[in-house]
Amino acid sequence: MGEVIVITSGKGGVGKTTTTANVGTGLAMMGKKVVLIDTDIGLRNLDVIMGLENRIVYNLVDVVENNCRIKQALIKDKRYPNLYLLPSAQTKDKTAVTPEQMKKLADELKEEFDYILMDCPAGIEQGFKNAIAGADRALVVTTPEVSAVRDADRIIGLLEANEIAQTHLIVNRLRVDMVKSGDMMSSDDVVEILAVDLIGVVPDDEHIVISANNGEPLVGSDCMAGQAYMNICKRIVGEQVDFIDFEAKKGLFQKLASILKK
Amino acid sequence: MENYVKITGSKSGIILKLDSEADWEELKKQVAEKFRSTSDFWGNAQKAIAFKGRDLSEEQQEEILGIIRENCSLDIVCVLDDDPERENAFANAVKENTGQEKKSGTSQETVDNLLQTDNGTGFFFKGNLRSGQVLDVETSIIILGDVNAGAKVVSKGNVIILGSLKGNVFAGSAGNVDAFVIALDMKPVQIRIADTIARSPDEKKIGRSKKTRETKIAFWENGNIYIEPLDKDVMNDIRLT
Repeated sequence: MGEVIVITSGKGGVGKTTTTANVGTGLAMMGKKVVLIDTDIGLRNLDVIMGLENRIVYNLVDVVENNCRIKQALIKDKRYPNLYLLPSAQTKDKTAVTPEQMKKLADELKEEFDYILMDCPAGIEQGFKNAIAGADRALVVTTPEVSAVRDADRIIGLLEANEIAQTHLIVNRLRVDMVKSGDMMSSDDVVEILAVDLIGVVPDDEHIVISANNGEPLVGSDCMAGQAYMNICKRIVGEQVDFIDFEAKKGLFQKLASILKK
Repeated sequence: MENYVKITGSKSGIILKLDSEADWEELKKQVAEKFRSTSDFWGNAQKAIAFKGRDLSEEQQEEILGIIRENCSLDIVCVLDDDPERENAFANAVKENTGQEKKSGTSQETVDNLLQTDNGTGFFFKGNLRSGQVLDVETSIIILGDVNAGAKVVSKGNVIILGSLKGNVFAGSAGNVDAFVIALDMKPVQIRIADTIARSPDEKKIGRSKKTRETKIAFWENGNIYIEPLDKDVMNDIRLT
């Protein structure tokens, strides 16, 4: 029996879709059978980040409206045969599906997949309600900014109200240099405000932009963000992994540069 | 009560026979009744209509069409004239367009022929189609603008884009494999002609591609979709059906 994980944030642009793509790919690399569902109807992105846009024939709304079978709409990833994507519709809006229909879909997919990852749209309206309908656990993504943290707090409250059993926090786009100079909240500060368990910290990394443009998730690669995402995957399946000390990972050149800045 | 109204129809057209002597108001009542009672049968089909048996002014035609719209969900695409001379002109025009040898004698055949030549007729659309927008047309279409990624054009005929094609196109949506797609800048996500789907190759798309824009045509052949520069040889092979 699989597990349904919703990736949500409240605020837009904090990295829900990037996280979904990387965590999903990472779990697939570990041999799990994974399906990613883009629930952002009308503003779909996950297919682009995964580089699978050109394979879309049917979508989530077609499945829900019984225009096709689930199997027909699932797109197999180009690198990992045990990773699938169920894309969203671009020409409809959030009201095209209901939470009940999403729950039924999630329950069906649970039979066959180990992990079902729901990429939630920004906001707390119908799209959010659809995405969390069938969820067993949630990953709340936030950046270390007051506005994102405020929205994450609201989201965590709504998740609790909807009785989602487990909620974990991902602090995304952390800039170690700014934390050090006291210009940015640290992951510890964020955890203190939100009082939920931290499952990962992902540093701000230009490789993320490159990987999104290429349509190839960077999880597992040598860069810091790639390793951070891999660690999140390991923690999701239950492994104990230490948090990376990003400061120690700095290269000699960067260290020199930071000394010179002072 | 005497029956002043008679509907005969086929798969694409309706002939409405109206009594020439009957009272106009009574006639309208009967038209309404006829279409209301057969509403389920028509569904929301698209039909052409021809009037027979009575000379109608334009206002009267409009009135009848209004009554039909009110009483069932039929989509009346066009009104055919029952004037024998004009009908012949129609038939000849159709014959010339399709190169058909067969002489179209009755108005019913004219209806069929007119609907079949949708691929050869078309209309213009000016503007850019952006993500999430769908342009769905019964005829061929010429787009003066770009089709962006996430946008879609669906046509029963051909699609010609005087701009960049970066989204999806579905030509020959009723199954016509002779349909083609032309774009000044051909970088589609997906092209579908009849039942064959072709997708773009997986390549990195960062930044501006240095390739110069080149007018290309996408066409169907033996179950495959080919995209080639639009030169004279390719142009000669185009079949307008």
